[in-house]
Amino acid sequence: MSTVAWITARGLFGRRRALLLLPLPLLLIGLAALCRAAGVAPSDWGVPVLVGLGLAVVLPVISLIVGTGVLGSEVDDGTIVHILTKPLPRRDIILAKLGVAVGVSALSSAIPLFVAGWLADSVGFGLALAVAAVVGAFAYSALFLLLSLLTRRPVLLGLVYILVWEGLLGRFVSGTRVLSIEQYVITIADKIEPTTLLESKVSLPVAVIMAAIFILGCAIASVDRLRSFSMAGETS
Amino acid sequence: MSEASVIHDIGYQRYEGPRLGRGAVFNSLYVHGLRAAYGFGRSAKAKIFPWLVFGIVSLVAVILAAVRAQTGLLPLNYIQFADAMSWLIIFFVAIVAPELVSRDMRAGVLPLYFSRPLRAADYVGAKVAAMVTAVWALLAVPQFIMFLGAAFTAKHGMSDVWKELGDLLPAWGYSLLWALLFTSIGLLIASLTGKRAFAAGGIVAVFLMTTPVVGVLSILRSTDAQELAGLASPMTLVSGVGQWLVPDANTGLFIGRFGPVYLIEAITLIAGCLLLLLARYRKVASL
Repeated sequence: MSTVAWITARGLFGRRRALLLLPLPLLLIGLAALCRAAGVAPSDWGVPVLVGLGLAVVLPVISLIVGTGVLGSEVDDGTIVHILTKPLPRRDIILAKLGVAVGVSALSSAIPLFVAGWLADSVGFGLALAVAAVVGAFAYSALFLLLSLLTRRPVLLGLVYILVWEGLLGRFVSGTRVLSIEQYVITIADKIEPTTLLESKVSLPVAVIMAAIFILGCAIASVDRLRSFSMAGETS
Repeated sequence: MSEASVIHDIGYQRYEGPRLGRGAVFNSLYVHGLRAAYGFGRSAKAKIFPWLVFGIVSLVAVILAAVRAQTGLLPLNYIQFADAMSWLIIFFVAIVAPELVSRDMRAGVLPLYFSRPLRAADYVGAKVAAMVTAVWALLAVPQFIMFLGAAFTAKHGMSDVWKELGDLLPAWGYSLLWALLFTSIGLLIASLTGKRAFAAGGIVAVFLMTTPVVGVLSILRSTDAQELAGLASPMTLVSGVGQWLVPDANTGLFIGRFGPVYLIEAITLIAGCLLLLLARYRKVASL
């Protein structure tokens, strides 16, 4: 199991590919620092930076690239066969892959969000954002890992979820918020450390329970899907 | 091996027909690229995403035309329509750009292409032209639907239609600017990786991460910073150029006296991305 995790991490980071994950978090910290230095009130820049960039772009996009990459790129290459033919329970494969994906996305989004939240309000708010981002990383990674097993175009489907479902519909159609991970993250951060910056639109029990359902449901479904996984050629 | 070695002519018939040159190669790459962008000649699965986006954009145009025909109000003009569709355009670019260039790298066909009388500039030109056409059509066809809706419900006959046409043509030019800018950035990012998944994610990340920068710059205190904020993101950059060239577009972006700056940056950005794309194809790896 640790070997699978090791191979996955090397596949993600080998040949300086890890550097590609840097610009988004750095931009988040840079913008927060710029606003702080320019003396703009946090109530003005908090929402566009923390929510608009941090929770709506950095967290989901990093989770999407990493979450679909851990398994999807092996499915694309066909090298998944080498792992599937080893005497390993499929559950362990999924857990190892999910662990790497969650670890990477949580680290690369929670740290910049902590710094930005600290600059915006207080250390407590930064920690609340970081905790919420970790929960979000779990939920997003599990969802995108499942997508990479269900379809050959996981990134595009994931983008539909991020851009259309959470981005467009989440703003106008209030009912879709119950199924939007972004809203759970906002709610959890807001309830841990209430500020005027975040505005939670779903209740805390809904957020926590739905996030747990997303994480467990997608992980179990992935294991089940990998049990009877059939290889196919390149998509046409 | 005493004698000089020769390659024996074993009597195959030689090809004596006309040989098509660079022009024909360019043309077929262009047509192939344009078909691939909308999934023609591919399986049904390849058509889902491009036609989903095209369907949504057309649906919005039909609704706008219907609202205008029924109530006489114009919720969005042609230029505001292009701006309102910006997220869908980003998504479309993320679908099409990897399809056009990442696939070729992945399949290792580039050395085969370049062993033909095809230069790097031809390859890049054909791909860019195909994608610009595809993205332009994504905006121009719905705009034409809106125009038809307005033209058939015109109250004062031909003069209204002419006036409407005068609104449509600049908007088509504006859509072309969208297509050029988004194509050059999108293709440049996609040409860096052979994995379509990473290319799509990268394109969306680059476009989306620029929007909050504009949001932040536009709340700084200096008026100059607010009026120059739009330069930070491709979407607002195009809006700024449109606002300057078509003053009654009402894009909602305040550019002050910096209109020429927007145009210059748009041109520089397009040219720079295309040059980098050319440089990228100076040398291709032969797996």
